[in-house]
Amino acid sequence: MKDERNREKHLVLLRDGRTLIGYLRSIDQFANLVLHQTVERIHVGKKYGDIPRGIFVVRGENVVLLGEIDLEKESDTPLQQVSIEEILEEQRVEQQTKQEAEKLKVQALKERGLSIPRADTLDEY
Amino acid sequence: MAQYSPKLNDGQPVLEDYFLDNKNLPVEEMAVGAVNPLDQMDCRADSNLMEQGPGSFSPQISKKVSRIQEEENPEEEQQEEEEDEEEKEGNELGDPAVLSAIHHVQRRHKSSPGLKASSMLGMSPVSLRFLCQTLDYFSPAPFQPTFPSASSPARCFGPQQPSPDPSLFYSPPASWPPRFSLRSHLTQLHPQHQRILLQQREAQRCGHKHQSPRVGKLWSQKPDPYADLMNQREKDWVIKVQMVQLQSENPRLDDYYYQEYYQKLERKQADEELLGRKSRLESPKLVTPYIQKAETYESVVRIEGSLGQVAVSTCFGPRRAIDAVPHGTQEQDTAIYNQKLQVLYRIEKMFLQLLKLEENQKNMLAKPHFYELQSKQLEKIYQALRTDDQDNSEEAANGFLQILSVRKGKVLVARLLLLLPRDQAVHLVLSITSHLPFLIRRDTADQALHMLFKPLGKCISLLAFNELLQGLQGLMVLQPGSQERPITVVLQNQFGISLLYSLLSHGEHLFSLNCSLEKHSRSDLAIWTNMVVLIAWEISHMSAASLAEPLIVPSNLLSLFCRYVDKQIVQQLEARMEYAPMGTELTCLRKLSCSSTYQSVRVEVQEGKIL
Repeated sequence: MKDERNREKHLVLLRDGRTLIGYLRSIDQFANLVLHQTVERIHVGKKYGDIPRGIFVVRGENVVLLGEIDLEKESDTPLQQVSIEEILEEQRVEQQTKQEAEKLKVQALKERGLSIPRADTLDEY
Repeated sequence: MAQYSPKLNDGQPVLEDYFLDNKNLPVEEMAVGAVNPLDQMDCRADSNLMEQGPGSFSPQISKKVSRIQEEENPEEEQQEEEEDEEEKEGNELGDPAVLSAIHHVQRRHKSSPGLKASSMLGMSPVSLRFLCQTLDYFSPAPFQPTFPSASSPARCFGPQQPSPDPSLFYSPPASWPPRFSLRSHLTQLHPQHQRILLQQREAQRCGHKHQSPRVGKLWSQKPDPYADLMNQREKDWVIKVQMVQLQSENPRLDDYYYQEYYQKLERKQADEELLGRKSRLESPKLVTPYIQKAETYESVVRIEGSLGQVAVSTCFGPRRAIDAVPHGTQEQDTAIYNQKLQVLYRIEKMFLQLLKLEENQKNMLAKPHFYELQSKQLEKIYQALRTDDQDNSEEAANGFLQILSVRKGKVLVARLLLLLPRDQAVHLVLSITSHLPFLIRRDTADQALHMLFKPLGKCISLLAFNELLQGLQGLMVLQPGSQERPITVVLQNQFGISLLYSLLSHGEHLFSLNCSLEKHSRSDLAIWTNMVVLIAWEISHMSAASLAEPLIVPSNLLSLFCRYVDKQIVQQLEARMEYAPMGTELTCLRKLSCSSTYQSVRVEVQEGKIL
């Protein structure tokens, strides 16, 4: 926040895998964040889509990392921006294929008498 | 009752007529007029308000509104007109002006959302808010649908967002055209809804690739009213809090990995600088602010190293004192157990001292007199480690060996060997070699002797010839309790055989260095030769399967053996020691032919004189 004119966008990665991009307005010692004009960016393959979300107050324990976005570099990404609908559709398809693959795997293991304990949340082990 | 009609345009001529009635007063004066009625209402109509109460007031206002706004409901108008006549005089000035002002605000606000309506009226936001609120107060229920936006403009009169759409605050009737700003940060629509709206939008923009113009607008370079929400003081405070957590009195202990990483980085930079990169980039140093650590008061009594509190018995929670008296039924077991505990305790104490030593070594390399400090500490540990009587036949009672039987003890000795002065190190090495079989037997569970190999290797290279012989001789001594020689046990163990090989290799090395045989006494030489022959014999006569695979096989061993033993044995040795080269064999044979001591030694071995 050096200069009002050049606003610095920040990218936050949350523990549940969401990516938020917005202006970081406030932070405290627990890394609780206040994000302004936030956009949730969903990435599927080479495509991404932005969903505007508004103001976010994120509890610090859910933050994985926070970084500043280089506004110049932001424009030259190899990624392609698509509409929200399209990206949501892509995400749904990806989830579906993943689930199907998982199901097959579990089935195969079951046939062999093995089982993998399911992780209920992404980062608990 | 009074319905809010979207057809504002229809209402407009009414207003303008009204304005014209007031002789084309500009808006500001209208505003002034609007403000004053309130005051007038307060003082003049105060009694009115107080006596009549809110309920009676409301129909008047609503009627006024509907009167102003709606032309299309003649019925209501008639009704209103009837009722109005009664109380019109008292509130005539006030209400219509106020209402019109508000209506004006609405209208204006709708058409140009960016402008602050209060500035339009020339009023402060507070007073307008007060206006709306008073009206709200006076007519709660029926009023609200009439002025749904009355309160919302007031709310919007804070720092303005780039694109707030006041239509958002309306509960939109079905006929209302969806003019939602999809990209507005204030919108949170159901994904389904979003999709539908997007489809509609895309239908409008045919074939155009869906950009997000409003998002682009959001990131534009506009003066940001929220830029300094956190002032510098607050930011510094957060940073300070984080830094305080980092600082410590013993950073090498508390923050070991970061310190190591940082030192590695610095070393790399120093190397790079030496290599020729003159421009030395100062890597940013982490400077933690120095904050006095507050005196922490321990309200709870804790014993060091324990988990949890000490059991305290108070009148509120009387506890049974734990019976600390040993029962004494298992006397023998406890004795051994206590002994074990003693050993472990000793190891722990020595380990702490060792850690301190290593710390000092890392930190105080520059200081001139650190060696004296070190040596004192070292001596302490060494004394703790040594046994008083070295000729202790009771191996089990030997403190040093007991320590070596424990895994942690091995680690301790391994690390200590690197720090000890030569003599003491040599002494330890010799005691290890002399009690090798015992150690090997004790190590079957842990298999941890290997960690001793490297430091022992280093110490072996420091050995003098006679000391080496001393060590080797221990291997040949027939133990009182067993039938076999220690060497057999040693050869079957990986650590043992590796140690043996390194000892022999060192001996050979020393031997080759001092080629003039006068250096060593005759007896020494004889002992050496005997040792070598015996060992060679043992190796060759042990089945290849039972021989352990050594950790390293020194290269000079085979040539060593060649000198002293005959061809057969050499061949067998070769097979066991996994040497393939034919060349060495030939050279060995040539050496054999001119060996002078060979014959005499052979005879002695056959006679079994050498044990």
